[in-house]
Amino acid sequence: MIDSGFDRRDFLKVLGWSGAAVALSGCGNTSIEDGRETVVSYSEPADYVIPGIGVYYNSTCAQCDAGCNINGRVREGRVLKLEGNPDSTINRGKICGLGQAGVQHHYNPDRLREPLLRKGDQGETISWEKAYGLIAEKLKGVDGEEMAFLTGGMSGHLKVLLGNYLASFGCKNHFVYEAVSPAVVRAANKKSYGMAMPRFSINKAKVVLSFGADFLGSWISPVHFSQQYAQFRKGVDGQRGVLIQVESKMTLTGANADRWLAIRPGTEGVLALGIINALGTATGEIAAAVKDYDRARVSAETGIAPGQIDKVAALLKLRSPSLVLAGSAAEGYAHGSQNAAAINLLNHVLGNMGKTVEVSETIPFPQMAPSLGNTAALKSLNDGLSAGKYKVLFSYAANPVFTAPGALKFKEGMAKAGFKVAFAHYLDETAMQADLVLPLDSALEDWGTQVPEYLATCAQINVQQPLMEKLHANTRGMGDILLALLKQRRADEYKGYEDYYAYLRDALLKNKSALGGGKIDDDTFWNETLTKGIIKLEGPVGSLATKVGAAGLKLPVSDDGDDQYPLHLIPSVTASLRDGRHANQPWLQESPDPLTTIVWDSWVEIHPKKAAELHIVEGDIIEIASRTGTIKAQAYLFPGIHPDAVSVPLGRGHDAMGRYAKGFGVNPFQIMDAVFDKETGELAMHETRVKITKTGQRVIVVKDEGAAGGKQMGKKIAVRLSTDDVDLSEEV
Amino acid sequence: MSVNNLLENWAQFRHFHPVDDKPHDPYKWAMSIDLDACTGCNACSVACYAENNLPVVGKEKYQHGQSMHWMRIERYWDEDGREFPDQGAQFLPMMCQQCEAAPCETVCPVAATNHTADGLNSQIYNRCIGSRYCSANCPFKVRYFNWYDYPTTDNVWPAEMTQQLNPDVTVRGKGVMEKCTFCVQRLSAAKVTAKNEGRIVKDGEVQTACQQSCPTGAISFGNLVDPESRVHKQWQTQQVELDKDKQDKDEEDSGLRGYRILEELRAYPSVMYLERVRESAV
Amino acid sequence: MHRSLRFFVLMMGLFLVASSYATDASQAALTTDDSLGPLVEQPFEFPHNRHANDMQIDCMYCHTYARRSAVAGIPPLQKCIGCHQSIDSVRETPRIKKLFEYWEGSEDGKIAARTPVPWKKVHDLPDFVRFNHERHIKRFIEQQNRPTQEACGYCHGDVKDMTVARRSKPLSMGWCASCHEKDHPVTGEGGVAVGNQAYWYSFQKPVVEAAGGAVKAKGPNDCWQCHK
Repeated sequence: MIDSGFDRRDFLKVLGWSGAAVALSGCGNTSIEDGRETVVSYSEPADYVIPGIGVYYNSTCAQCDAGCNINGRVREGRVLKLEGNPDSTINRGKICGLGQAGVQHHYNPDRLREPLLRKGDQGETISWEKAYGLIAEKLKGVDGEEMAFLTGGMSGHLKVLLGNYLASFGCKNHFVYEAVSPAVVRAANKKSYGMAMPRFSINKAKVVLSFGADFLGSWISPVHFSQQYAQFRKGVDGQRGVLIQVESKMTLTGANADRWLAIRPGTEGVLALGIINALGTATGEIAAAVKDYDRARVSAETGIAPGQIDKVAALLKLRSPSLVLAGSAAEGYAHGSQNAAAINLLNHVLGNMGKTVEVSETIPFPQMAPSLGNTAALKSLNDGLSAGKYKVLFSYAANPVFTAPGALKFKEGMAKAGFKVAFAHYLDETAMQADLVLPLDSALEDWGTQVPEYLATCAQINVQQPLMEKLHANTRGMGDILLALLKQRRADEYKGYEDYYAYLRDALLKNKSALGGGKIDDDTFWNETLTKGIIKLEGPVGSLATKVGAAGLKLPVSDDGDDQYPLHLIPSVTASLRDGRHANQPWLQESPDPLTTIVWDSWVEIHPKKAAELHIVEGDIIEIASRTGTIKAQAYLFPGIHPDAVSVPLGRGHDAMGRYAKGFGVNPFQIMDAVFDKETGELAMHETRVKITKTGQRVIVVKDEGAAGGKQMGKKIAVRLSTDDVDLSEEV
Repeated sequence: MSVNNLLENWAQFRHFHPVDDKPHDPYKWAMSIDLDACTGCNACSVACYAENNLPVVGKEKYQHGQSMHWMRIERYWDEDGREFPDQGAQFLPMMCQQCEAAPCETVCPVAATNHTADGLNSQIYNRCIGSRYCSANCPFKVRYFNWYDYPTTDNVWPAEMTQQLNPDVTVRGKGVMEKCTFCVQRLSAAKVTAKNEGRIVKDGEVQTACQQSCPTGAISFGNLVDPESRVHKQWQTQQVELDKDKQDKDEEDSGLRGYRILEELRAYPSVMYLERVRESAV
Repeated sequence: MHRSLRFFVLMMGLFLVASSYATDASQAALTTDDSLGPLVEQPFEFPHNRHANDMQIDCMYCHTYARRSAVAGIPPLQKCIGCHQSIDSVRETPRIKKLFEYWEGSEDGKIAARTPVPWKKVHDLPDFVRFNHERHIKRFIEQQNRPTQEACGYCHGDVKDMTVARRSKPLSMGWCASCHEKDHPVTGEGGVAVGNQAYWYSFQKPVVEAAGGAVKAKGPNDCWQCHK
């Protein structure tokens, strides 16, 4: 090797020098940060504020309309984390991932901070005074007929104020729009049960047969239903509850079913009638209606094996009470109301009325009861906009430019409105089209009351209070904005209220006795109300229909013909993204979809059999074309979908709104055809027919499951036991 | 930890816990997860992000397998070639199993991961030099490495988002390993309250973030050596013992649902899972 | 070639030596005795001797949070003003005038009213260490009935002899651990052992004193206690 040159001794010397030097420099404590940081003490803190110890405030979650009550942990004046309020009858101390992300909405870097006035393609910051002045100016001489106010679902005192504001113009054009709403089910319930939203007692049922109702994921009140589900699994009388899910594309609830039945899209009602037929217990009108729905026919139309239909019927007969739910999969068709009616019939036939389908209360203040959103309202608004009817359009808690079905061409219609005002948290697609954008307080820094549509145990009013000081100086609460606008119209009535807080306080104190505070003084009542976060009431109890007929029940003969567009597009509603209003919250973008584990992007689910036919592999970019438009998404082979359908998730595909939303994924709302349920006029979400073609591009799908794709490689990682082999009697 | 201390106590740090003269007393934190109640909703995972200052890495880094979810939900299908998953999917919440004989503890070159007296596997960020041997050794792959400087260079918490960070939990910089800690910051706070009152922590007094959030209550957490705790009762009825690599009840079909994952590797995890059940009559 | 290689490696070695000094250039001159911290310049000098010695004010009168929270806390501005608004005899002295500038706002408008004084933190442990004041107060002052100034002095030194607070203990991990390695009695009130408190902290067994049977144990040496 090296003979004359560098040898071992020299090497060790060098090592020794550097080693010693390093050792020397490591002497002493170099970590103590003497005098480097400034410590800012408090100036005049309240008694209960102790640095290092959190203060907890109750409020109400606003991420969806279930109205779960939350408890916020606040440290040094900043809200850090949300938990469920343990005293809530809705969520009992629990909270879902969407709710947790409420803090990311509050601290979002893309939140609007200043009022913006359109100047060509840009937005110019203006003052609130100027903004209010501008609105007053634009409304001068405008008739009530010529203005429209679009909102999402609303309840509580905000709804009252808005109603009063519109009444001051004689305006009846309040359009309440929710892109994802069980509107058809509500209408069907009213007909079948006598109530739009009775109480579904999952925890009292021994069998739950759900036709696409994703009650564990995104349907109506998922946290509440999840808790009931846990009790349901523990069992009534020690017998574990059985969940059967019938749908064309597997939802989160479907993934938890004991039996998941892949049904031909649109034939849910047929299966329901087939089960009634198989039960053999129906009489009179109902028996006549199901006479022709024998196993063979039903099996041929739905694709469910006759033996399976028998098993389901047998189980329902044996284990009573059961509960049958009609969900979005059933109602998403032009005959959705008929489907839902057929499904609801099962609860009557099985004798579940009054046992698992129960009466619920309504709140004794109808003016505060929730205005429920649906798409029929949007269609109505769209018709008016396209006709050039509206001189002024207001938009709050709605993003129709993103969520309206593409066939409605909402954006073009909106452009025809004279002056457009958007009240928004982000510069979303709708705000981008507005002339004036006013920035809102987040839900965690605002006051309010909220009444949920689904009242889990008793009638209640949820209280919303700020969990910390406003983050941005120039945002306002919607209540404060409405109050300011009302003062323009009815100064005398409202001048006594300095702000929305004062209005709320006064309104609640005025009704103190009705709200359970008759015996205590005003201040105590107010403080207690805020501390609890919930006002529990006794309200009028609705009544359930005990009988129902089958008149008018007419299910279409299953259609299959559409050679050009052979597949059904099923847009899926995921628990974290819903209709896309929270796409700018990074936790939700990075939270893997429970079924596909895909993150940050859209995908199209195709059954492996269908994919093999079309030579599609995972990652192929597929063009999905409907009559209305096309989108492109990466293919994902998914066994939980009917081969005649493909599914793309809703909520992604924003081209505005913020850095975490923009440019991620595609928006299936864009390509939805304008097909509506015949009875209610609701958008039939699953009626869009598509054809798919490979584009020749392929990407790597970004997902959590890894290359093994959810396989256990022969190890006992997550296995399951059959009820035959398990002994649940000793369990804690 | 002086070199002296390390050399003296090395033997203790490097063997199976608990040892006879140091039983788990008065705490041994353990968990039990009911897979029949778990719906796979991911609420626990998001709650963990909120509580423990987890960085959101974005699409590109996620693709490289550099996600940082301490609690992840794994989803498994049946592998018998059926056309549809007609008995649903299996969801498995997977996080650090706080093994009693943790394979990660033995291989850290600088003893940055150790066993605490209350039965947790600790990860000391300021000691970690980033060799990543621990994550290579972990059979559950629940250790996550900070490949990038998320707080500064990657700006994962822009502008006001830094205000959401939990001050009780370190914000990790580049080059350190991290993993589920059973919310040790909450455990410490609960122990402090209990010590001030001269008692030990009662069952239900402290909850991990995942447990607190879970809408179905599938996660049970508590003190395994407290006979009154729910977790203790569950492990007992399921006849799962902490220090066995093969449970007696598995000799024959006991009909009990409790099991631990990869038990045969003798890592002695502190998390017991209750098998999912599927109805045979339908 | 070998000669230049040797030269190169020697130069690398020297470079490493030099750079290991250079990286800590901002550090004050290193001493082998680390106990004494530097004199930290504060917005104005707060005379601890006047308050703690002459007037014998309890440490926790101002540093209230010490017994309630992990952080001891600098007193809120209101605490200072609370007394000083009524002490006319020193109201016009320069430092009190400076104090009131923070409370009432300065005349030149540079300081707004109610601004907390921007003190520089003297006993500042690095961010990866979490020290819990409350437990130490409970142990020394409440349980073992040691006088407050003595107990606080273990770590903060003899504050009653200082004007501006100055660090007078190393506050290094080894120094903290050395105290944790002393045996402390772990009995509760009335000499009753509290739970199995002895095992709560350390890997070492507790020691039962032959005379009297008092149980003693060392303080926590579980890494995660302080380095979460």
